[in-house]
Amino acid sequence: MTSNVRRKNKQSLIMSLPEDVIFDILARVPRCEYPTLSLVSKQLRSLVTSPEIYVRRSLLRVTEPCFYALFYDSRSRNCRWHIIHRKANGNRCLVLIQSLPPMNNVACFVAVDSRIYVFGGYDDHTKYYALSIDCRFHTVEHLPKMPVPMSNTIADIIDGRIYVIGDHYYDKSKKVMLVFNTETQLWELGTIKPNIEFGYSPPSSCVAMADKMYINDYHKSYVYEPKKSKWEKEEMLSSNKWRNACVVDNILYYYDYFRGHKLRTYDSKQRYWGTVKGLDLEELVPKRNPHWIDTVRSYSGKLALIFTYEGRTPYYLWSAEISLERRQGGEILGKVEWCDEVPVADNLLQVMRFLAVMV
Amino acid sequence: MSESNKKISLISSEGEAFEVSEAVAREFEIVAHMLEDGCSGSSIPITTVDSNILGKVIEYCTKHVEVGNVEGNSEKAEKDLEEFDKRFIAVEMNTLFSLILAANYLNVKGLLNIGCQKVADTIKDMKPEEVRSIFNIENDYTPAEEEVVRKENEWAFQP
Repeated sequence: MTSNVRRKNKQSLIMSLPEDVIFDILARVPRCEYPTLSLVSKQLRSLVTSPEIYVRRSLLRVTEPCFYALFYDSRSRNCRWHIIHRKANGNRCLVLIQSLPPMNNVACFVAVDSRIYVFGGYDDHTKYYALSIDCRFHTVEHLPKMPVPMSNTIADIIDGRIYVIGDHYYDKSKKVMLVFNTETQLWELGTIKPNIEFGYSPPSSCVAMADKMYINDYHKSYVYEPKKSKWEKEEMLSSNKWRNACVVDNILYYYDYFRGHKLRTYDSKQRYWGTVKGLDLEELVPKRNPHWIDTVRSYSGKLALIFTYEGRTPYYLWSAEISLERRQGGEILGKVEWCDEVPVADNLLQVMRFLAVMV
Repeated sequence: MSESNKKISLISSEGEAFEVSEAVAREFEIVAHMLEDGCSGSSIPITTVDSNILGKVIEYCTKHVEVGNVEGNSEKAEKDLEEFDKRFIAVEMNTLFSLILAANYLNVKGLLNIGCQKVADTIKDMKPEEVRSIFNIENDYTPAEEEVVRKENEWAFQP
């Protein structure tokens, strides 16, 4: 059949509206529908791929969390970003984002609104590595290079400033901290020398909580307070070996697989460890040995829990979103909003990072 | 100057007069500005909106003014208003678009919001051809161009 484009004289309903109103309508449509809308007509495509639509989404407060996973691909021997895409039938699948280049997997990654910031490297090419990924358009922007070359970086954000901690590239025994200002998109002058002795292992986790940075090196936890430029050991936080943790409303969460499948919580103000109540995670999570477990702050008081498993496919990613409610007396009640199993292609050997971004 | 019982006539494009209280007329921001600018006449022509649509916009504004005037029990009132909005906006597509156009012109923000949300909810989960047919949009892609756009957004078109 030859293509037969019908000509219609009647003016299109939606396009007869003022442009401002069209933006208002399209911004309210979930972002995962934009590719479908792009196929409707050239004009609709130009509207849903314009920066204005995302400005409007922020103004209307209709942005949504979107999950990104960095996988090591054994075929290309690269780390590539994948998105957990929710299909129209409600099922989720993992899809490679073609337009994003391979990533340096030893860098640290920080999600800030609709962006992912990437800092640090492992060799001469990547030692000053600093870039940001715009998840609205899946484009990469190079940032001013790091003032000090760094490796083994970890980072999180407080009040618009990303604190990047790592080893000095040329002297691994020296720890350095740099501050990147996300408003000015510039590095702040000077470096911060952590005036505290870290343990033997390199710091592996770092989260920002109640305007302080909490760092963990498998054995001990440390806290840095930017306002007072003060470093301290945090003995109470050290009493559990937390890793792959996230912070939601100033409470730290991590999944304790080995001691009873508990979602453990730490309140830094009360210096108190607890567990999330109302969840039977042992029952919920697949009964296999996970390769990898992570928790990620989703948005509006929720967190996402991610496991990867070896399985028949040959393996799959299991994820759940959990809403958290703080009761009087400090008890935290969890409710599973959804959980889903996503098959992972056999060339994707390992998940390196999982993040939630608002778009 | 607040004269709560002052009446104002809004004249539709067909010349029909709708008598409303000043509070209701002020819900139309365009009218509120006219009144503030010293337009003292008691009848205001709304030349781009027909009687059917103007009547509906007035119904919407009257309900919202009424609920706004009731004190206390705000949670229930808000729920009622939400229900009212839902029923009010459940109209066929042509009327919905006329309401949006009128709300935009008269600057009735609440109505514009629920109208735009309704269209967005309708578009959601539709296939491209369904969107084209409901909004009367012509497919101006050649098959080759369509393939390019499909490739660009491959991540979203997984089976």
